Amino acid sequence: MSIRLALGNVRKSLRDYLIYFMTLSFGVCIFYAFNSIDSQQAVMEMTGSQMAALRLISRIMNTFSVFVSVILAFLILYANGFLIKRRKKEFGLYIILGMEKWMTARILLFETLFVGLLSLFAGLFLGVFLSQGMAVVTARLLGAGIGSFSFVFSFSALVKTMGYFGLAFVLALLFNIEMVRRQKLIDLLYAAKKNESFKPPRPGLSILIFILSLCCIGLSYKLILNNGLISSQGILTVCTVLGGAGTFLFFFSLSGFFLKLVQQNRGLYLKGLNMFVLRQIAGKINTAYVTMTLVCLMLFVSICTLSSGMGLADALAAELRGNTPFDATFFVRASDESPESAYAGVDLLAIARERGFDPGEGTYAAVRAYAADSPVALLAEGAEKTVYPEFMKLSDFNKVLELQGIDPIFLGADEYALNSGVRNERWQGMLAAYEEGGALELAGKRLRAAADGLYAYTTEVSSIKDYTIVAVVPDELLSDAPIKRDILHMNYPPGDGDCEKRCVSALLGFAPEGFEGSLETKARMMEYSHSTTTTIAYLAIYLGVVSLLMAATVLAIGQLSEAGDNVDRYGLLRKIGVEDRMIDTALFAQILICFGVPALPALAHAAVGIRAASKFVDIFGEMNILGSSLVAAFGIVVIYCAYFFATYAGSKRIVNKEYAHQRRIMENE
Amino acid sequence: MSSILQAQNVEKYYGNKGNLTRALAGVSFSVEEGEYVGVMGASGSGKTTLLNCISTIDTVTAGHIHIDGRDITEMGRKSLASFRREKLGFIFQDFNLLDTLTAYENIALALTIRKRPPREINARVKEAAEMLGISDVLRRYPYQMSGGQKQRVAGARALITNPALILADEPTGALDSKSARALLESFRRLVREKKATILMVTHDAFAAGHCDRILFIRDGRLFHQLPRGRDTGKQFFDKIIEVVSLLGGETNDVN
Ligand SMILES: Nc1ncnc2c1ncn2[C@@H]1O[C@H](COP(=O)(O)OP(=O)(O)O)[C@@H](O)[C@H]1O
Ligand SMILES: [Mg+2]
Repeated sequence: MSIRLALGNVRKSLRDYLIYFMTLSFGVCIFYAFNSIDSQQAVMEMTGSQMAALRLISRIMNTFSVFVSVILAFLILYANGFLIKRRKKEFGLYIILGMEKWMTARILLFETLFVGLLSLFAGLFLGVFLSQGMAVVTARLLGAGIGSFSFVFSFSALVKTMGYFGLAFVLALLFNIEMVRRQKLIDLLYAAKKNESFKPPRPGLSILIFILSLCCIGLSYKLILNNGLISSQGILTVCTVLGGAGTFLFFFSLSGFFLKLVQQNRGLYLKGLNMFVLRQIAGKINTAYVTMTLVCLMLFVSICTLSSGMGLADALAAELRGNTPFDATFFVRASDESPESAYAGVDLLAIARERGFDPGEGTYAAVRAYAADSPVALLAEGAEKTVYPEFMKLSDFNKVLELQGIDPIFLGADEYALNSGVRNERWQGMLAAYEEGGALELAGKRLRAAADGLYAYTTEVSSIKDYTIVAVVPDELLSDAPIKRDILHMNYPPGDGDCEKRCVSALLGFAPEGFEGSLETKARMMEYSHSTTTTIAYLAIYLGVVSLLMAATVLAIGQLSEAGDNVDRYGLLRKIGVEDRMIDTALFAQILICFGVPALPALAHAAVGIRAASKFVDIFGEMNILGSSLVAAFGIVVIYCAYFFATYAGSKRIVNKEYAHQRRIMENE
Repeated sequence: MSSILQAQNVEKYYGNKGNLTRALAGVSFSVEEGEYVGVMGASGSGKTTLLNCISTIDTVTAGHIHIDGRDITEMGRKSLASFRREKLGFIFQDFNLLDTLTAYENIALALTIRKRPPREINARVKEAAEMLGISDVLRRYPYQMSGGQKQRVAGARALITNPALILADEPTGALDSKSARALLESFRRLVREKKATILMVTHDAFAAGHCDRILFIRDGRLFHQLPRGRDTGKQFFDKIIEVVSLLGGETNDVN
């Protein structure tokens, strides 16, 4: 009997509470997908290090999932609370009809169980599909190949998802049963009656607070934009507090301010249902400003993480392209223990051949870098005094350029040029000094700055950004200079996939006795970078989507419960002759504004935040924040709109139901 | 005088074949312009059903109802909605004011949803409020008003559109006697000064005493009509009581 009742109820709820199912299934789906990354290797062809990267990513996602599961559990409890609130009266009726309390609790138990199982399976189903698609994305991000198609399925993720969500459902269950147990009948029966007393806003005060809130927000914007993200902890704290407080005050005073504003415009206010809609929204914001603030901040986090995270991933990938001008760079230099002066140079080409790898298979450039005889090289007065360049012969430098397919540079007999792969503030100092004709002293000779002699070529494969500055000088000036290191740049012959393997096995970790050696290859860097990129991108998407889900759900449920409370109001409008279409429009406007109100400040916050962040990310490389922001914005808009329309449909159902119910009785009989 | 409302053999059945309730069994009457008509009857006699049929909220099973010259039993759903908006005003037992709007806004709403130009709204709201004696509570929200004030706000909302017919279902039902008296007096004034036409369902002989004519309904049929004629209030009231006792049953609805 109770199972049948519960099943029937769930069937009804299914139609009524689309949002609940959406959130649950969506949450389960995301959770499963990000926990099943490990199993995606089934469809990929990976090297050992790619495998390791995948495992690392998977571990990070698993750790992060604990945090996510807490959020999702909260969402489930929240949505559940809404479901129960709407149903209280029904349970009151069961009890009135003579059903025992424990029977009622049992119906509720079955119901929660059915709902939970249903959304769990729907979510898992979606999740399994999502992880198929994700496998392709992961493969692309990691630079791995896609092998033969096979079905990606993670049993451990399945068990984990069921475990975590099972726990959340059990919590919801206990909560529900406790609710029925403790409720007094009278409360159950009258739960549908409005319990929140309507509080009209006070306009005078709210205008003042509203202006104050704008000042707070504006000030925090100014602080963060002027100081950037890596400013002192103190400034950041002040910004956060100001921004948070400003946002809170904004929502606190918004309804009063807005109402006053529109009321001034009689034409607008006294038109159709505007008055009603405005009052509805004002009433809503007036009672729910805390929720609004939270939703706004969650949206803010979501927009920031999604766009910055993806932007950062982009930036890293772009930087990588710039950092790898060759397939591999091998260099040998004096070890830290032995002083530089003891290093007399080695023949890297011979070493490589000896160890079984001939760079001559492809193309190569063997060059030498020298230390200055005087340890400090001075540029023009007043400019950067502590630039410690490596010196390189003009012919060597041109060899390096040639290997990259770049035209050679030219120098007069008493000229020098400078090259640095990174353009940053230091570059500014150099540029200024250079333009002032900053001179360089070498081997007792004074060198002029060559016209247009500042270059920004990347000259070696290196996992860290190359901050070294190279001073290029005429060959003969360096004949007696102390050697700093020998460098071998290599490009493999095209189409030879084996070369990398042989190069690595010959040179990785090798150094002639008493010296230090270092090999960095493009392929190895790609893998490393791919794993970083993938981790960051996935973390950002995971966090962003979860906080977006949270914001949208809280908003949607707030609106839906509102719609429940509003059945009377809309019914009344109908009674006094308002057309259905007008009512639908009013409902639409009401929900649209309620979704828009927290979104707009969130957008403004995010725009400022991303601007500050892009300066921060800039340190890692130029960041195309616009592109990734657009992609992120698109995703956010899609999810947000889905929730908006689901909310509208749900509210319309709730508002129309009572009326339709009445009509059905009339027409049937 | 022309008749605003004409009901001809109105019948209404509820239920299905196995279990049929005859709520109205052929009711005919008419209401003239500017008339204040009361409808009385025992609980379950069909008063609300009659009013719902007239107000187009419910449909008749048989018979015809003409309002302002148009037969509402022949109209489609769309035109019914606009007809209701243009020709009818409603007052309900439980006020039905929007709790989020002030009294002023509740009254103005009736005009704004009819897409009246905003400039004329203010004056008309003030005028209607004046008429019903609620000018000094216009800025209040429903929760700040007494039941009588709320019902008069609802009255103002019903009359502000100048409807051909105002329909009221037990408007005094939820009021104490003092508020009820104030409301009834303002209705009287409406009829006298604004030439409003009112059809009011009531179970209260005192309320009925304010009307020009009373229709008594029993078991879905028109049982008796009682015009005020030249009677004084006391005389009319006594006559009403007499008919009510003839009607039998308790007239006091549970509601
Ligand atoms: N929706 C309905 N379904 C079935 N029967 C109804 C319905 N509404 C009213 N009735 C029946 O019609 C009769 C008249 O009811 P009503 O008009 O509400 O009476 P009154 O308002 O005079 O108390 C009653 O017997 C009532 O039970
Ligand atoms: Mg009735």
